[in-house]
Amino acid sequence: MKLSISKNVHLVEPGDFEPTDHWYPRVLNSNIHPLVSYFLNLTHEQLAERYHRLHPQSDLASLLEILRYQPQYFRWAGTDLMHVTNHEGNRKLTVIETNSCPSGQKSMPLLDLNVEQGGYKRLIEKTFKPMVDAHTMDGALAVIYDKNPMENIGYAATIADVFEENVFLAKFDKADIDPPVKFDGGIMYVRNEKEEWVKVRAAFRYVTQEPWTRLPKQTKTLILNPIEACLSGGRNKEIASAAYDVFNEQFKDKGIGIFTPKTFRKVKYAELQGHFDRLGGSMVIKVPDSNAGQGVYTVVSQKELDHAMAEINPDDEYLIQELIHSNFSKNLDPTKAWYHVGTIPDSKGRSFAFDLRLMMHATDEGIRPLAVYSRRSRFPLNQELPEDMNSWEVYGTNLSIKGEDGWTYADERLMLFDIRNFGQLGLGIDELIKGFIQSAMAVYAIDQNAIKIYGSSPIKDYFTTQNQES
Amino acid sequence: MNKKILIVEDDVVFCRLLTKFLSRNNYEVMDAQNGKDAFELMEMNEFKLAILDYRLPDMTGLEILEKLKSKSPGSKIILITRYGDQDIANQAIEKGADAFISKPINPNELLEVINKL
Repeated sequence: MKLSISKNVHLVEPGDFEPTDHWYPRVLNSNIHPLVSYFLNLTHEQLAERYHRLHPQSDLASLLEILRYQPQYFRWAGTDLMHVTNHEGNRKLTVIETNSCPSGQKSMPLLDLNVEQGGYKRLIEKTFKPMVDAHTMDGALAVIYDKNPMENIGYAATIADVFEENVFLAKFDKADIDPPVKFDGGIMYVRNEKEEWVKVRAAFRYVTQEPWTRLPKQTKTLILNPIEACLSGGRNKEIASAAYDVFNEQFKDKGIGIFTPKTFRKVKYAELQGHFDRLGGSMVIKVPDSNAGQGVYTVVSQKELDHAMAEINPDDEYLIQELIHSNFSKNLDPTKAWYHVGTIPDSKGRSFAFDLRLMMHATDEGIRPLAVYSRRSRFPLNQELPEDMNSWEVYGTNLSIKGEDGWTYADERLMLFDIRNFGQLGLGIDELIKGFIQSAMAVYAIDQNAIKIYGSSPIKDYFTTQNQES
Repeated sequence: MNKKILIVEDDVVFCRLLTKFLSRNNYEVMDAQNGKDAFELMEMNEFKLAILDYRLPDMTGLEILEKLKSKSPGSKIILITRYGDQDIANQAIEKGADAFISKPINPNELLEVINKL
C-alpha cells in the first residue's frame, strides 16, 4: 500500500486486505445464524417455488424471470424493508427504499469461514470482475467513494487481490473544489503521485452524495453502478416509486407486485397539511433524493409537521408515505393501517421497530442476496412516546449520524444476522425469502426504468454473448 | 504496546489505514484531522512520537511540532511532506523534527523509520 500518492488518493496493492479493518469488531467475532446461511444458499428455483407456495396467486415463471434477470445498469443494490402486519395479522415485508451504493459488508458475518474476504470477494468476483473482463479498454482500476472508508478500503483491497494489480482508492467528495477524479470524454482519470492524470478502465463506485453532480452518463470507463442506476430510482425515492407502479401494472395479471406503504408523489409544500389531515394526523415526508436517514421526517402531530415544514424547502416537491404504526397510533382506520411487527420483546418487555437491509448483486445466475443486517429504533413501539420526544425515536432505524467531523454510527442499534441477534428479530426463513423477492422486484423495476430512459447498456451485449455461448 | 503515537493528517482514510497498520505492529495510536484536535489530544495524553502532515486545514505541522517539543521535549517527531518539499523538510529539521518522510508513504518504510527513532 502507498498512502497519499496524491491528495485523497491511495494506492492499494495485492495482499493489503486485513479482515480487522473491514468489519465492525463485534462482527469479526460473530457466527452467522444457520438459518440465514441456509437462506443465502437457496437456489433461485427453491426461492421462487417457496414464494409461490406462500403466495399461491403468484406466477412461478414470472418469479423465475425476475430472479434470473440480468440488470443492465443496477447490478449492485440494497433495499431497506420493514416487517409489518395488519389488523388481520397478515404479515409482509414492505420495501421502504432501494439504494445504489448500499453499505452492509462490515455488518455481515462470514458465510464461509474459509473465505476471509467474505461478501467483499463474492461481489467483486461474481459481479465486478465479469463486467471488467468483458470491457475491452486499457487503463487502471479504481474505487471512488465519498463515505464509508471501512468498506471501500476493503473493496479496493479485494479488487487488488482478485485482479492481481494495484488499485487507486480516491475520495470524490461533493465539496472538494480540486478533486482527484475527473472525466474527459466519458473516460475517468485519477491523479497519481506525479500529479498526472491516469486513465481508468473500470471503477467501483461508492459516491452517494448527489453523485449526478460529478458522474456523467454513458461513461466509457466501466462503473459499478453507473449514474444511470441512481437517476432511474437507485438514489431517488420519487422515481423509484413511479418505477414500482409501472412494475406492479406490468405484473398485476401474474399475481405479483412490489409492496410499499401507500405513497403520494410530487406533493407540493402547500399540500402537506392536507395530506396530514387526510391521513389521520400521521405520515412520513421524504425529500426524494435524500439518503442515510437525512431528509426523512416521521410526523405524528401538528407540532412535528410544523417542525418538518420549517426545515424543508417550500419550493420543492415531496414524497409522502403512510406511516407504519406503533401500538399507540391514533385516528387510524384499522382495516387499512399497517403496523410494525417489531423485535421479540426483551427482558424488559420492550419491542422495537427495525428494518432489514438486504444487499444484492447480479451474478451470472441473476440477482442473488449478498449481505443482510438489521437496525432497530431507539425507543420501543409498545411504550407511549413522551411529550417532548420526536417520533423518529420510535420509527427511525438508520444508524448513520452526521457529526462535525464526518459520519459515525449507532452501534448499539445494529442487529446482526448472527446466532446471538437474529432470533431477537422474530424473522423466519419465509420472511427472508419474501424480503429478497420483494427486493429483486425493486431492482428489476428500477433497472427496467433505466433501460426505458437511457436505452440498452453495453453490458447487455456481454450477457447476450455469454448466454449464447453457454 | 511500546509507544503511544499521535498522527495528525486531514485525510481520514490515511489516518485510518496508518492507525490500523501501526496498531497491528503493537503501537497505541491516536489521530487528529486538524491542529486544534491535535492540541486537545496533546493536553490529555503523553505522546512519545508524532507523525505530522505539514499541510493541515487550520495550521502547519511545524506549529504542532513546536507545541509538542515545548510540552514534551523528549518526544520524537516525523514530519510528512509532499514529494519535493525540501525547503519544508529543512525547516522541520531546524525546528527539531527527528525525521521527515515524503508522500507517498509506504507504511513498512515508515515503520522502519519509527523503529530507528
